[in-house]
Amino acid sequence: MLELRHIHKYYNPGTVSEMCLFQDFNLEIQKGEFVSVVGSNGSGKTSMLNLICGSIGLDDGQILVDGKDITKQKEYKRLKRIGRVYQNPAMGTCPEMTILENLSMADCKGGFFGLQRGTDKKRIPYYRELLSQLGLGLEDKLSVKVGTLSGGQRQAMSLLMSAMTPIDFLILDEHTAALDPKTADLIMELTEKIVREKHLTTIMVTHNLRYAVEYGDRLLMMHQGKAVMDITGEEKKNLQVEDILDKFNTISIECGN
Amino acid sequence: MKKRVLAVILGAVMITAGLAGCGGNTGSSGSSQSSKGEKMYSIGISQFAEHGSLDNCREGFIQGLKEEGLVEGENLEIKVSNADSDTGTAAQIADTFVADKVDLICAIATPSAQAAYNSARNTDIPVVYTAVTNPEEAQLADDQGMPVGAVTGTSDQLPVEAQLAMIREILPDAKTIGILYTTSEANSAYSITQYEKYAEEYGFTLETAGVTNTSEVSMAAASLLDKVDCLTNLTDNTVVSALPTVLDQANEKNIPVFGSEIEQVKRGCLAAEGLDYVNLGIETGKMAAQILKGEAKAEDMKYELLTDSSLYINQAVADNLGITIPDDMTQRAEETFTEISQE
Amino acid sequence: MDFALSILEQGLIYGILALGVYITYKILDFPDLTVDGSFPLGSAVTASLLTKGVNPYLSLVIAFLAGVLAGTCTGLIHVKGKVRDLLSGIIMMTALYTVNLMIAGSNNVPLFAQDTIFSNSFLEGITGGNIPGYAVILLILLVAVISKLLLDFYLKTRSGYLLRAVGDNELLVTSLAKDKGNVKILGLAISNGLVALSGSVFCQQQGVFDISSGTGSMVIGLASVIVGTSLYRVVSKIGPFRKKSYIKVTTFVFVGAILYKACTGLAIRYFVPQSMKMISALFLLAVLLLMLVFDNMDKKKVKKNA
Repeated sequence: MLELRHIHKYYNPGTVSEMCLFQDFNLEIQKGEFVSVVGSNGSGKTSMLNLICGSIGLDDGQILVDGKDITKQKEYKRLKRIGRVYQNPAMGTCPEMTILENLSMADCKGGFFGLQRGTDKKRIPYYRELLSQLGLGLEDKLSVKVGTLSGGQRQAMSLLMSAMTPIDFLILDEHTAALDPKTADLIMELTEKIVREKHLTTIMVTHNLRYAVEYGDRLLMMHQGKAVMDITGEEKKNLQVEDILDKFNTISIECGN
Repeated sequence: MKKRVLAVILGAVMITAGLAGCGGNTGSSGSSQSSKGEKMYSIGISQFAEHGSLDNCREGFIQGLKEEGLVEGENLEIKVSNADSDTGTAAQIADTFVADKVDLICAIATPSAQAAYNSARNTDIPVVYTAVTNPEEAQLADDQGMPVGAVTGTSDQLPVEAQLAMIREILPDAKTIGILYTTSEANSAYSITQYEKYAEEYGFTLETAGVTNTSEVSMAAASLLDKVDCLTNLTDNTVVSALPTVLDQANEKNIPVFGSEIEQVKRGCLAAEGLDYVNLGIETGKMAAQILKGEAKAEDMKYELLTDSSLYINQAVADNLGITIPDDMTQRAEETFTEISQE
Repeated sequence: MDFALSILEQGLIYGILALGVYITYKILDFPDLTVDGSFPLGSAVTASLLTKGVNPYLSLVIAFLAGVLAGTCTGLIHVKGKVRDLLSGIIMMTALYTVNLMIAGSNNVPLFAQDTIFSNSFLEGITGGNIPGYAVILLILLVAVISKLLLDFYLKTRSGYLLRAVGDNELLVTSLAKDKGNVKILGLAISNGLVALSGSVFCQQQGVFDISSGTGSMVIGLASVIVGTSLYRVVSKIGPFRKKSYIKVTTFVFVGAILYKACTGLAIRYFVPQSMKMISALFLLAVLLLMLVFDNMDKKKVKKNA
């Protein structure tokens, strides 16, 4: 279980541009829950993810995982149990390295990166199998540099790599936003598959209301650092895009979008 | 499209061809016969840096050879290279001369001398050096002053005692002498130890300030000038390059600056009991001629010091500072300048 | 000695330095100026050890370790002290000047009389007392090849993967639950180790340590890397070596260093002494412009094929 307790976060404290993002923000996410998060720009969605991952510090409050306080834990240590996929497909892979090298690294996540051979040849069939499941033909391009792949292919790689080792949380930061609709659908299907297979606790930030409604078993709508809508259970299952559209438009207009 | 690919390949080939070219023996190597039928000698001069006194050395060297009957263009071929103060380049220059099989290498300044000795040590090419302050410490000579191989030459060791005596004569009341030097220059570090050794004998205390490049000279001079009654220069390449800065600051405080050779006095130092680098070069040239003609072997020749220093005075500077130079000094001066050269 | 041989010797020695610069400049994307200090550091350590009678081959290892230490310091200043990359290098380079003077004890230490890797009782033993002239180039080649192969091997290990990743995409390293700062420090350490190793070989070949020997070594390294990697790009795309995995960029770093030194050699031999730097500059510019032409052609080719 992930708990955010009494979170306070200010940007540019002590300057004219001081901005309070979170003021006593609280959130609980149960183990195995798939949470979709929507909200206007600047509502605090991505900041929330950054706080959870430790990419940014918080000014007050606590973050707990299974009751253990991780507020002070460094980002790279937290990420041992967290997989994260970013909006920009380039951020989840190394463009100058080959597909095989990228997968080999992801396969060792959390392990010891010593002077062992970087790629374990015995694992190659497994990597091929993983790639073939994507249906993108990447299994035959193991020695191709990732930088030459398309955005969709890279994002599929990123997703695959983020969940290759046993993790508890999957953090998806608008991970379909930079893709064309068809590829985005593909990536979403892949996401669903990975999440269900590995029983991952997932937080997905998206601008696509359809995805938010269609996927996940809980929906959060954020606005000005608060969860203005939190729908779970049966209600979420029966939710239609139209149900949240009004609310979403209101807050978007407020923000001038 | 194909043409452009070709162009690139051609470019690459040209570069490699240029390289291969240097492998071939294109230089005029070794001794050959001159038009008159007498023996033609070839000499490579490896100079460490572009610098007034080193240039004087080189000119003197060529002049010294001429006095011994070896004239450039007639029976002598000279190739001059300058390392631009880079030790790696100095080594490459020396290697090039060895590859060209010159009859003798003349190396000007310590790093070039060491590089030349290192390159030529397993060949029969003799090395004659000049402007090496301390050949023993540079391991070009043993502690008896005898060569460690086919390498000999002249030292530009400063006449430190003569200089101190001269300063004492001009400034009877001075207590502290300041010296600016570059910590990376071997010659300077050695000269400083010489000054430390003799300063007390002449009733001076010594203040030094080390710099690492020209840009630091101004600040070091300012700090030193607060503490001293006069400055004296070494033959330090960096400090000499920045001499105008030093002189400007010293003149403002009315503090005299003594030089270490003629060029510095010409440019505005009060006086110097110094070496004439042209003479040093001439001596070196004569040694080289002896070796080339087979009259002596480099292995057996002890390196030489210029025995006499000469006094140089700049009267214009003395007038500006309001210092009267004793008559007997002006009389024994080798040369007295009446104006400050702005070159 | 043959002129080409001299170029080869110098090129290979500076090639080891260029390998180090390759790690920081190309892999880590870190303009590391420590090089100007760690190169003479290797020389200073070696000079000090050789005059104390330490085995010259051991001195290579110790010089490498000294460089590792220097690189680690630069890394710590940058990562833990949050000082900008260029500045951390400048700080270390400046500090190393004094360190080098202290280690060597003087700004110029001749080693003509000392045992070096090129002349010692061991070599005399196996050659029967008469070390042949080509021993020098062979030994330099040996050190260069070993350095290259070890680096090639290292870049294929997990740790090496991480090093390549940190220059490519820092975020991924964090995602892999590794501290990217430590990886950078490691990279700087290895890089400066190689640079110091190069300095050690250099001073043993020159027979002298001189404090000024480091000045401009960064520039030589950088130029070698740029020339080398450019050539690699061309060769790995056209000609008979296309897409051959045994064609390694590390080999081309050496080619770059040799070409750069050849340029200096040409200048010394065929041009007036004052023109040397200009010829080096023009050479570098020519390579970069040729690459521009090559890349343009390459782009058109891709378009045509698409």
